[in-house]
Amino acid sequence: MADSTRQIQKANTRKKIMEAAYRVFSEQGFSVPTSVIAKEAGVAHGSIFTHFPTLNDLLICLVSEFGNNIGASMHGLAAKCDSVENLLTGHLNVLEQYEAFYTRLISETSKLPGEAKNTLAVIQSTVAFHFSSVIEREIEKGTVKNLPVHILFNTWLGLIHYYLLNREFFADSNESIIRRYKAELLSAYICLIKKEGGV
Amino acid sequence: MKKCIACGMPMEDISDFAAGDPTKDYCIHCARPDGEMQSFTEKKENLTQFIVRTQGFDENAAGKIAENMMRKLPAWEKYFD
Repeated sequence: MADSTRQIQKANTRKKIMEAAYRVFSEQGFSVPTSVIAKEAGVAHGSIFTHFPTLNDLLICLVSEFGNNIGASMHGLAAKCDSVENLLTGHLNVLEQYEAFYTRLISETSKLPGEAKNTLAVIQSTVAFHFSSVIEREIEKGTVKNLPVHILFNTWLGLIHYYLLNREFFADSNESIIRRYKAELLSAYICLIKKEGGV
Repeated sequence: MKKCIACGMPMEDISDFAAGDPTKDYCIHCARPDGEMQSFTEKKENLTQFIVRTQGFDENAAGKIAENMMRKLPAWEKYFD
């Protein structure tokens, strides 16, 4: 019984550290010292190292959890989506939910440990998988231009990343870029890729 | 919910399973036409080509991503010891 109480406490502390790290990294970037994360989590500094031997371990774990969440959301969307508009709206909704952390990931990729960088590449490949499954159906139906899938995917991602990486020019500091520009980005992209008079 | 041991895809619908058989641990994308699971080499090659086609990456970079995807999956762990 005492063992299980200890295990629950341990799991709770780990969860608190993960949540605090997510907030701190999102707001301040990946160079933040672990003492800031401990303070935010309300745990002793040493407690972080009981759960994550190094800062890199914590980063890898966070990026991996983030990837699992994005992957699960995109899988659910692609299964239900009958149109590219719906899938892309869903993609933007998922990114909006994680906007600050995602922006850090794409702007500070070079600061990530190798394994977290690899995980980020795997995350984008998962998104590409769901994107391609829907867009290829539309190309076949003749509703989307017959362009290479990687060009269609990279154009979409490039557009979103440009806005996120230049956020200071597009919105006030606390405003969500995706929420503000979602409708415009989506309609412009759809207009670019749709075949005129498509079936 | 089962996840494919060879690519990690969640398998919810019966059509997600190899040969439409829900007792299988791998998905339709990881099966050969005869229903058997693809080998490590086949899966790595398929994933690499998929990444090249959907993201336009260089083949060597795509191969590394494919390996990183496979590294954590139960079907391929032994290849990375």
